[in-house]
Amino acid sequence: MANVSVAAEWQLLYNRYYRKPELYPMRWKHVDLARHKVAGAPFGGPVAVIRDDSKIVQLHAESALRKLRLFNSAGHPLADAVWRHPGGRLIGMSWNDDLTLVCVVQDGTIYRYDLHAQLVEPNISMGKECFEQNVADCAFWGNGVVCITEQNQLFCIPDFRNPKPVPLADPMIDEPPRCIAVIEPQYTMSGNVEVLLGVADDPVVLVVEEDGVQRLGEGLLRGPLQKMVVSRDGKWLASFTHDGRLLVTTSDLTGIIIERECEADENLRLIKPSLPEAVEACVDASGHEFDVSRQRTLLRAASYGQAFCSNFQRDRIQEMCKILRVLNAVRNPEIGIPLSIQQYKLLSPSVLIGRLINAHRHLLALRISEYLGMNQEVVIMHWACSKITASLSIPDATLLDILLDKLKLCKGISYAAVAAHADKNGRRKLAAMLVDHEPRSSKQVVPLLLSIGEEDTALMKATESGDIDLVYLVLFHIWQKRQSLEFFGTIQARPLARDLFITYARCYKHEYLKDFFLSTGQLQDVAFLLWKESWEFVKNPMASKGSPLHGPRIKLIEKAQSLFAETKEHVFESKAAEEHAKLLRIQHELEVTTKQAIFVDSSISDTIRTCIVLGNHRAAMRVKTEFKVSEKRWYWLKVFALATIKDWVALEKFSKEKRPPIGYRPFVEACIEADEKAEAIKYIPKLADPRERAESYARIGLVKEAADAASQAKDGELLGRLKLTFAQNAAASSIFDTLRDRLSFPGAS
Amino acid sequence: MAQIPNLDNAPINLISIREQSQKELINILKNEHGVELRHLSADHIQTDCTKVVYLVRSQPNLMRHICSNIHHDESKGLQREYHVYFVPRRTVVCEKVLEEEKLHNMVTIGEYPLYIVPMDEDVLSFELDLAYKECQVDGDTSSLWHIAKAIHKLEFSFGVIPNLRAKGKASVRVADILNRMQAEEPVNSSDFLNIKNGSIELDASIMGLQQEGKKTKVPLNSSDKLFKEIRDLNFEVVVQILRQKATSMKQDYTEMTTTSQSVSELKDFVKKLNSLPEITRHINLAQHLTTFTSKPSFMGQLDMEHTIVESQSYDICFDYIEELIHKQEPLTTVLRLLILFSVTNSGLPKKHFDYLRRELLHSYGFEHITTLNNLEKAGLFKKQESRSNWLTIKRALQLVVEDTDTANPNDISYVFSGYAPLSIRLIQHAIRSGWRPVEEILKLLPGPHLETKRGAFSNSPSFDSLSGVSTGIAKVPDGRRALVLVVFVGGVTFAEISALRFLCSQEGMAYDLIIATTKIVNGQTLVETFMEKLG
Repeated sequence: MANVSVAAEWQLLYNRYYRKPELYPMRWKHVDLARHKVAGAPFGGPVAVIRDDSKIVQLHAESALRKLRLFNSAGHPLADAVWRHPGGRLIGMSWNDDLTLVCVVQDGTIYRYDLHAQLVEPNISMGKECFEQNVADCAFWGNGVVCITEQNQLFCIPDFRNPKPVPLADPMIDEPPRCIAVIEPQYTMSGNVEVLLGVADDPVVLVVEEDGVQRLGEGLLRGPLQKMVVSRDGKWLASFTHDGRLLVTTSDLTGIIIERECEADENLRLIKPSLPEAVEACVDASGHEFDVSRQRTLLRAASYGQAFCSNFQRDRIQEMCKILRVLNAVRNPEIGIPLSIQQYKLLSPSVLIGRLINAHRHLLALRISEYLGMNQEVVIMHWACSKITASLSIPDATLLDILLDKLKLCKGISYAAVAAHADKNGRRKLAAMLVDHEPRSSKQVVPLLLSIGEEDTALMKATESGDIDLVYLVLFHIWQKRQSLEFFGTIQARPLARDLFITYARCYKHEYLKDFFLSTGQLQDVAFLLWKESWEFVKNPMASKGSPLHGPRIKLIEKAQSLFAETKEHVFESKAAEEHAKLLRIQHELEVTTKQAIFVDSSISDTIRTCIVLGNHRAAMRVKTEFKVSEKRWYWLKVFALATIKDWVALEKFSKEKRPPIGYRPFVEACIEADEKAEAIKYIPKLADPRERAESYARIGLVKEAADAASQAKDGELLGRLKLTFAQNAAASSIFDTLRDRLSFPGAS
Repeated sequence: MAQIPNLDNAPINLISIREQSQKELINILKNEHGVELRHLSADHIQTDCTKVVYLVRSQPNLMRHICSNIHHDESKGLQREYHVYFVPRRTVVCEKVLEEEKLHNMVTIGEYPLYIVPMDEDVLSFELDLAYKECQVDGDTSSLWHIAKAIHKLEFSFGVIPNLRAKGKASVRVADILNRMQAEEPVNSSDFLNIKNGSIELDASIMGLQQEGKKTKVPLNSSDKLFKEIRDLNFEVVVQILRQKATSMKQDYTEMTTTSQSVSELKDFVKKLNSLPEITRHINLAQHLTTFTSKPSFMGQLDMEHTIVESQSYDICFDYIEELIHKQEPLTTVLRLLILFSVTNSGLPKKHFDYLRRELLHSYGFEHITTLNNLEKAGLFKKQESRSNWLTIKRALQLVVEDTDTANPNDISYVFSGYAPLSIRLIQHAIRSGWRPVEEILKLLPGPHLETKRGAFSNSPSFDSLSGVSTGIAKVPDGRRALVLVVFVGGVTFAEISALRFLCSQEGMAYDLIIATTKIVNGQTLVETFMEKLG
């Protein structure tokens, strides 16, 4: 592009230069603006086009049905939809702040479309009066609309988020206004919308509000206005007068700012030869420039000049390059968002990314957020959710692979949130599969799984995490939701959950635990519970010993016994329970016959001892026989029992009854422990093992005898140990030393 | 406060851990004047206080006591404010109990995140007394999560542990949970001033059933210098050392009275005299212990433990245990030997198993069926199902060492007068050359094992990324020894700690060791956790 034309594009308007560059050659075909109603969104947003049904037009090769078509700013088609709405002609349409296309038809119905030409439900009505009187014209602002009926009544919806029509004051005019404009509620004194009407044959502007009508501009205006536009901030009003003048006034029409003939006054201004300013200006200008090669030229110039400016901020250029790369990317005709730099700054990168993902430009959004170092999670998340919504026909497994492929790009992304979306779209299985890949905190995933009814997966996840608290969470959830049998079946298949359930139930749900064991066929565990219960009778103060309450207690134990007997792995337990019941019966009888409540709940061995201590040898013998107590044990028990009551005569008699099956050691030990040396000496010589004899003598302090026995044993280690026992006794020590020398054992210290 | 262990010399900053716990506790109790402390029990609280604060471990069975306390107050028309602080965190199951008892709205719930208690400058405890039993018998693995969480918390203070080794099912699971936590809530490696190399050994204590310590109310820890000197000695040696100390003091005293002394020499002597009460106390203690250790039953038991471990004379061991039962010796004593016997034989033949169980029930009462059931579930006392490989293991790892010089040890086996604890032997191997050379042996031991490197450390020059073993990467740049955290899942005995300290003190040892455990146990306490009477 030649340099001359660059300057030639600029036109002076009042004290500023303006230009009107062509951003895109429009790519659309067969769109004759004259035949269409058109709505372009601000901030480089999309353009909506529909054949104007208020004009009679000739149909070329096209359907008689009208189509609402959406394009990007470069005329690249985005979406379309056939227009079949009843309600008369389309009066007006406009994009509101969240890029929803708002369409008002004659009967006051408002249809809304999203970026993808999908109708947004529900439709809005302007009310009964509009329906009866027909809407004649309307004016939009960011988030609202004002309609005027054929009877010149005004109605407004101040905010589409809360679409309630509000009637405005009657302007009392007979003819429809020449032109209409609104000042947004946020810029008015009252906080309500103000509607400006340019009326026919009257050099005033009517300002209509909810509660009144004002006449403005009397004396200022010389005739009726043809067209009015309010500035973005609501401060200024530009109008086109009946006699072809452009007039800029304050919006309350109290003063004229500019009044001029609409002819361009061309002029050129020279840039002052101040280098830093020039560099700065080049950088700024590049930002405002839409043409990429001119941006390059300007930045190159700035970069060249910068080298001669000492205190110019170097990253300014870098920063601008960054911004321009983003802007150029979205200005690409394919994308078609011709944002200016001010608009971009006003909008902020994150809103731009929001718009891109809304327009399903996920890849670009991803690249930009990556380039700007922003969190990509929001983009990938949106992509994944849109993908799920749009992929009803793709099978779960395939879709999962597609999703995972992208989700893994973003570390820390919440698979759980994507899963929640899948669940909302009725794809529970996909949801479960996604959660399965959630690497993040199981603390978040498990409750989510429960909320989407995936209890089994939740249980699995909780178990894997090792966090018992989570397992309990799931456990109680399932417990509450399912029938007992189903619940039992579920946890039986999960050892950890089962064990935790048992642990809890053991403390607080005893009976229920029995049901569980019965349902799963763990009869031995029921048996253990019953057996345990049998002791509850003991704790119960009502069950005093010797009372008939023994009956039920024994019955419980017998029931346990028969349950143990059901499985052959528990023969031992069954036998033990049987013996226990039998023991209780015998003990009960013993308490009755001896009139002493000292038997119940002691062991078999203790019962035998008690009998012997009481001198009831027949009873002791009976217990021995009933429980097939071995001779070995019998000897120990009887010997110790007799030593307890110091019945040394009986003890000696017992030792002579027959040759004791385990020798005389019990007798020796019992006597030594009772500190009866004289009695012990009776039995020590009868010990078969000389080592035992030596040790026993040593224990009752008979050094010489100990030494003799030890030398018979020929055990050096024993000698050493005995010497240690007598460490305090020098004489004894020397005996052992001599012995050891004589036997020439290597030094055992 | 003088009685709690001094942590100044700990290889990592344990003081901060303790101070944090103190601060949190004070926060819970702040603004409370006239605090009365009680142990939680089913007994009703007799007090005029209108506010009750429960500090309770988040175990469902403990909630029963709190509920009965509050119900009792309600029935008496007492109006109190109740606060329940769960240690270390609130749990669904405990709150469920409160909810079922309709008390949920009456109590204010809080948390006291106490995961680790420093017991000494090189010993940390998670104070999970029941961990072993809960895991093995009840299948409740809460403690494994707790351990992983505690280690993860340490990592937040001291950096990611780059090498991890684990042996045993529970330990491998802890490692797994720890890695999950790191994935979900990563520790950033760059934020630490205090990064040292570390590798961690996790080991389910399998063989810690040996001699016992004695409970006294004298605080014994590293703050007591003399205790620090003697605590890790073999019990046979302790008395000798103390006697030497006393004798040398006596000599000093004789010199003092016979020759003229300078003032500074006198001062030194007085200083020594100050330590006299300490020596006296330890002599008393040691003598008290000697009354146990010299008893024939203690010697007999120790002998028997060795015989069982040597695993050469099955019948002698069997007869001995049988006799203990017939004599109705304390049940814990019997069970300790029985467990050792069963574990080394990988269970007992069915006939013997049933016979000994029957004799136990007959001698001690049928209510002990649950204890036997627990031990069987935990695999500690069970029916033999396969041949024991204990002999192979014992030989390969040189667990039984002949001719141990207990006074001048050159091997960890000194702690048990000739038996080297299996767990410590494994750690010794891990530290020296990694586990690869003993892989075959590890496979013979129950449970899987794991050896893994963990991420986030590629930028540090002190970690050799190729090295599969830990040799050669021991020194951190500032010359301190690198650190190994040894975690015992299920408990560790004092003897094992002594053996580890012995390893640590050896010349050429490249690491400082820190021990962490669910609980410091001995044969007695460990067996007791499995004891459960039906009645």
